[in-house]
Amino acid sequence: MKKMLALIVVLAFVLSACSKSNSGGEASSSSSPASNPSASASANGTGTSAKPLKVVLLIPGNLGDKSFLDSANRGLEMIKSQLGAETKVIEMGTDQTKWQPIYEDVANQNWDVIIGGNTTSAEYFYAVAKEHPDKKFIDFDTEFTEIPSNVYAMSYKINDATFLAGAAAAMVSTSSIPRADPKKIIGFIGGLDVPGINNFLVGYIEGAKYVVPDIKVITSYAGTFTDPAKGKELALVQYNAGADVIFGAAGGTGLGIFDAAKEKSKYAVGVDSDQAAIINDTDPDKANLIITSAMKNVDNSILAAVKKFQEGTLPFGKVETMGFSEGGVGIAKNDIYNKLMTDDMQAKMKEIEDKLAGGEIKVSDAMGMQTSEVEAIRNSVKP
Amino acid sequence: MDKFFEIIFTTDFAFSIFRVTTPILFAALGALISNRAGIVNIGLEGIMLTSALTGVLISAYTGSALAGLLGAMLGGMLISAILALFTLELKTDIILGGIAINAFASGGTVFLLYVLTGEKGTSSTLASKMLPDLHIPLIERVPYLGPIVSGQHVLTYLSILAALGVYFLLNRTPLGLRIRAVGENPKAAQSVGIRVKQIQYIALVLSGLFASLGGAFMSMGYLSLFTRDMTAGRGWIALAAESMGRGTAVGTTLTSFLFGFAQALANALQLLKIPSELISTVPYITTVLGLVIYSYRQARKLRKGR
Repeated sequence: MKKMLALIVVLAFVLSACSKSNSGGEASSSSSPASNPSASASANGTGTSAKPLKVVLLIPGNLGDKSFLDSANRGLEMIKSQLGAETKVIEMGTDQTKWQPIYEDVANQNWDVIIGGNTTSAEYFYAVAKEHPDKKFIDFDTEFTEIPSNVYAMSYKINDATFLAGAAAAMVSTSSIPRADPKKIIGFIGGLDVPGINNFLVGYIEGAKYVVPDIKVITSYAGTFTDPAKGKELALVQYNAGADVIFGAAGGTGLGIFDAAKEKSKYAVGVDSDQAAIINDTDPDKANLIITSAMKNVDNSILAAVKKFQEGTLPFGKVETMGFSEGGVGIAKNDIYNKLMTDDMQAKMKEIEDKLAGGEIKVSDAMGMQTSEVEAIRNSVKP
Repeated sequence: MDKFFEIIFTTDFAFSIFRVTTPILFAALGALISNRAGIVNIGLEGIMLTSALTGVLISAYTGSALAGLLGAMLGGMLISAILALFTLELKTDIILGGIAINAFASGGTVFLLYVLTGEKGTSSTLASKMLPDLHIPLIERVPYLGPIVSGQHVLTYLSILAALGVYFLLNRTPLGLRIRAVGENPKAAQSVGIRVKQIQYIALVLSGLFASLGGAFMSMGYLSLFTRDMTAGRGWIALAAESMGRGTAVGTTLTSFLFGFAQALANALQLLKIPSELISTVPYITTVLGLVIYSYRQARKLRKGR
C-alpha cells in the first residue's frame, strides 16, 4: 500500500510537470531571463516608443470555448493586424495553482501591456500587478470595483444583452411564427446557481417580462459547465414542459441545448459569441433554430482599450462598465435573426435597444443581490 | 406535490430514464467483466472519451455513422489492449495504468481534435454523423408503453441486449466460468490449466468494447458532437454502479438504472420551486437509500439463515 501511494505521488508530479509544459509552455519558453526583473523593467522603460507595441494575452483556461475566451483572442488578433503590435497568447489551463506563477513570469518579461481576465483569476492578477507597478495591465472582465492603479479593468453589463435576449425569446414564444406554441413559457439553463450566472438570468427575465408581462420562465441549473449531455437532458425537460425558446448560460453544457432544440424542433438562444454562425457551416438545420445570441463584445473592447493605451488616454486604476450603450454587449443579428423575426418584431427590438441605449430602461444587476432576492425573482416567473 | 407526480408519471420521464442510463450501463458492464476477472479497470472514463472522439472523427471523414461506430469500438478495444499490455506484461499497477489512460484521454483527445480541426473545445466544425433512433413497428402504437419503449436510440436497445449478453456470458459459458475463476483465485485457476493472462486480456478488451459503446452513444447518439471531457464522470459512476450491484450482471444493470432514474429525476425536479442545491443531491441520496435497503435485506437474510 505504501508503495502504491508513493507511486501515485510520483505519477502526480510527473503528470503535473507534463501538463505544465503543455499549458504554460509558451510562457516558459521565453521566460528564462524572468529571474531578473530590474533588467527587463528598464528595457521596457526605454523601448516603448520606437519599437512595435508588445501585447500579451493570458487566457485563464484554454481556447476553443467558442465564446468568451475565443472572443478575447480575436481581439488580440485584431490588435496584431490593425495596430501592428507584436502579440502572444498564453493558455494557462484550468489548474488555478499555475496561474499566479505564470502571471509572475509574464510580468517579469518585456511586455508593454499584459491582458488578463475573468473573475476567478482576478485576485492573482491584481496581486502580481501590485508587485509590478512599472507594468501596465488590462483586465478584460472583472467583478471588482477597487483595482490597483496600474490596472485598467472592464466590467460587462451582460444583463443588458440578456435583457434583449429575453425580449426576443418572449416575442418569439408568443408570436405565430412556425414552431412557436401559444403557451407563454420560455426556458433558461444556467451552469451554476451563482451570482455571475444569475446576472444572465435576471436580465433575461426582465427582458421577457418587458415584452410579455405574464410570461413564465423555467429555470434549471446543470451544476457543471462541461456536460453537454446534461444540458440536452435539461433542455428536453423544459421543451416537454412547454417552453419553446431556451437560453443557456452554461459554457460547454449549453451546447447540448442546441441538440435538444433540433430534436424537438424548437428554438434556442446562444451566449457569449454568435453561436449560430459557428455551427452554420456544418449543421444549418440546427443553426437555423438559434434566434440570436447574447454577446460580450470582448474582441472589440480589448482592441479599443489597447488603442487608447497607445494614444495614452487609457484611464488606469479605473473600472469601466461596458453596457449596451458603450458597445460592450449586444445581441447577434445575423441572417437567421433577420429571417426568423418578422419586421414588426425587429422594429420592436430596435425600439427596446434605443430605450436601453438612452437609459430609459435600466436592467437590474444580480451581482449585488441577496440570494433570496434572486430566488424570489426566479420563483415569481416559474410556471 | 401534485405537480411532482405530474412530472414523474409521464412517458417523457420514463423515456428519459433509458436515455440517461445507456452510457452508464455500457460502462458498468465493462467494469463488471474486468472486475470479475480480477482487474479493476478505472480507465473506463478515458476509454469512453477516446471512443467518443474516434466515432465523431471517423464518421465525419467517411460519411458513415456505422464506420464511426466501428471505429469507436476499435479505438476503445485498442486503448484497453494497451492498458492490458502494461498491466499484464509489463506489470504496471492497474490503478496507475487507469489513471494514466484517463489523463491521456482527457488531454490526448483535445490534442487530436486540435491537430485535425484546429479547434480545442468542440468538434462542431466537423459534419459528423449520428446513429439512428429505432421505432419498433407494432409496439409503437401501444398506448403508454409505445412512447416509452419505442423510438429510443439504437444503442439504448443494444445496451439492454448487452446486459443480457453479459449475464449469459458470465453465467452460462465456459469463458464466463474461466473469467470468474481467474477473478476469484488466479492461482487455483492456473493449477487447473486456465491461462490466466489470456483470460484477463480477453476480459479487459471486452471491458473496453463495452465502454467504447458508451462513448459512441455520448457523441453519436445522445449528442451530435464531441466536446472536451464530455463524458463528465459517467465512467466513474459506472464503477460505482458495478460495485453497488455487487459484481453481478443483474445487480449492475439494476443499479445502473437506479442511477439513471435518480439523474433523470434530478433533471425533471428542476421544474418545481425547489432549491437547485437540494435537487443536485437527489442522485446521492438515492444511492445511499439503495445501499441502506440492500444491507438491511442482506442482514435480515443472514438472521433468518441462522
